[in-house]
Amino acid sequence: MKNNKTKGYAGYLYILPWVIGFFTLQLVPLINSFIYSFTSFSILGSPKFIGLENYRKIFTTDTDFLQSLLVTFKYVVMAVPVKLLFALLIALILNQEIKGIGAFRTLYYLPSILGGSVAISVLWKFLFMKDGIVNRFLSLLHLAPHDWLGNPHLAIWTIGLVTVWQFGSSMILFLAGLKQIPKVLYEAAKIDGAGPFRIFWKITLPELTPILLFNLVMQTINAFQDFTPAFIITQGGPMKSTYLYGLMLYDQGFKFFKMGYASALSWILFAIILFFTGLSLKSSSSWVHYGDSI
Amino acid sequence: MKKAFVAAAIIALSFGSLFANGTQEKGNAQPEKVALRMSWWGGDSRHKATLDAITAYEGKHPNVSVSGEYSGWDGYYQKLVTQLAGGTAADVMQVSPEWLEELMSKGNVFAEIDTNAVDTSKFDKRLLDEDCTYDGKLVSMPNGISTQCMVIDRGLLQRSGIDPDTVWDWDKIISLGKKVHEKDPSCYFNASDPETFRYFFELYMAQVAGGIVDDDKNILCNKEQLVRAFTYFKQWFDLGIVEPFAQTSLYYMKWDQNPTWIKGKSASAFCWTAIIDMAGKQNMDVTRLPIMANAVDTGVRMLPAQLFTVNANSKHKQEAFAFLNYLYNDPDAISTLGICRGIPANSNALDQLSSEGKVDPVYSKATKIGLSVVGKKRPNLQLNTQVMQAMQDVIDEFAFGKLTPEQAADKFLNNLQNVLAEI
Repeated sequence: MKNNKTKGYAGYLYILPWVIGFFTLQLVPLINSFIYSFTSFSILGSPKFIGLENYRKIFTTDTDFLQSLLVTFKYVVMAVPVKLLFALLIALILNQEIKGIGAFRTLYYLPSILGGSVAISVLWKFLFMKDGIVNRFLSLLHLAPHDWLGNPHLAIWTIGLVTVWQFGSSMILFLAGLKQIPKVLYEAAKIDGAGPFRIFWKITLPELTPILLFNLVMQTINAFQDFTPAFIITQGGPMKSTYLYGLMLYDQGFKFFKMGYASALSWILFAIILFFTGLSLKSSSSWVHYGDSI
Repeated sequence: MKKAFVAAAIIALSFGSLFANGTQEKGNAQPEKVALRMSWWGGDSRHKATLDAITAYEGKHPNVSVSGEYSGWDGYYQKLVTQLAGGTAADVMQVSPEWLEELMSKGNVFAEIDTNAVDTSKFDKRLLDEDCTYDGKLVSMPNGISTQCMVIDRGLLQRSGIDPDTVWDWDKIISLGKKVHEKDPSCYFNASDPETFRYFFELYMAQVAGGIVDDDKNILCNKEQLVRAFTYFKQWFDLGIVEPFAQTSLYYMKWDQNPTWIKGKSASAFCWTAIIDMAGKQNMDVTRLPIMANAVDTGVRMLPAQLFTVNANSKHKQEAFAFLNYLYNDPDAISTLGICRGIPANSNALDQLSSEGKVDPVYSKATKIGLSVVGKKRPNLQLNTQVMQAMQDVIDEFAFGKLTPEQAADKFLNNLQNVLAEI
């Protein structure tokens, strides 16, 4: 009995650093930003209470808000599904038992270790600029070059590719999920004469749906908050066609130093993310299968 | 056992702090140790020169240590404001002139310069009064003088059949400048990115209307004048005077990193004289910016290249002033720093560096050209980030062909009115 109690304390002790970090570095700023969202606050002066004025302005007069919301939706709707599809595809390939598969798994995970870093964004710029490698490659194939990052219709997709390329963490989860699927199911299906596509649709995909749900939720949250690629590569341009929500939030906060306004914007983003996360979870009952529920 | 260990550790730690106190008290007998912090942005040459000057100062004043906090330009302002808000900003801070008004109006963040401690006698009075002062108080010191000029590539101009010694005006940019693109479609007369293009636009508007906004939140130009400007600049895109924004927007605020410029395929660029080395040196020469006949104002600006300020909350203001005085007026420091912050604003320093042969002739020429046509001071409000953004947004849409000159003029005025009402 006494032993158990001590064990419990040890657990709390282990998570203490996180708890302290959460309370001081996350919870306090969270509450503060909520309070600031009702103020006019230029960071150097003291905040002035203005009620719902920031929110009123955002929804009625701020044209950048609508523009960046639109851009962000485009980005999320493109980047998240393509990324998950890609991750699943690679996971399926890497699930094969072939020689040296460990090395391939490592290689495919590498882009994710590099993360949404500045270096990758700079690399992207060099790949897709006018005289970049992509255009040179296209001209070798006698195809017309494009302004991948300069054309307002193309730039957001090009930026989205950075995210898609970093499919590693989703892939690892899919791979782990694939390993969990009982082999007997496949054996039974084969004996019954099912082809590979039927096996995929009827066994692999349903068995993977819990992982798919998790990946979908996490990647959607991340995509809504993406900032680095658009900030480094295009700075929101051309013509604000890559002006992601995170970038607008940064501009209001750290370019114009309207901290109250930026706080209000971040709470709106929080509400949007919460809504879509809730939607994914709510809808999951109709498409996610757990264990033996097939 | 564990308890004993913990107790021992606590005792050991408290002894440690006792000893620490002991040494501190001993130190008080000697002249008080002062630790200053100084922050600046810049490139490697500036970092090295400044660190060398700091080391020399520490050698002469053993009780003072100065730690440098330096970085590139990107993110410097954001960090500075955050530090000022959090009370952790350095004692001596390099700031850009356009921030002075913005920061001082939000909070009294910079100390008044003690002119008994910092010798200001060799500085241009107009520069101190107009650009270093807030509310009648001198709160900053200018490092270098920066004015505006046009950098040209003599080789490319010649190859395009243009006399490189042409004195440019707006019409010649069209009639002669178009030859560059005509001769070689991958070349352009001007290397502007969207931001530097806006500088040209502001220059044009200063000459047509005397400016765009003043510090009393009045808009100085009317629709007709704006339509005239947009109609003129439409030709820049139609005739290939400037590379399309679809290609240059990737180099926003970094025109010098555009491969078109680096490969020598642009013949000219708008440049502040303090950062002329950024433009690269091959075949480079400098000339006057375009000025129209009967211009209301030349629109050519002169600003301190950057300013040094002392933190109003610094515990060591006098030491900070003494250190600044050393940087500005000590012959050794002047020699060490050279022109790492542009042509010095201190006339003694300029004379000394010139006689030492440390002033690149291109800098001298550019500064001379710029100063010969310098116009009125640009209102601080026209340097406000929100005002600049309001203008830039319209210029971007216009350059991408989404707005006609009339539409652009309307939107320009509308955007400005909205922003001015809000500030």
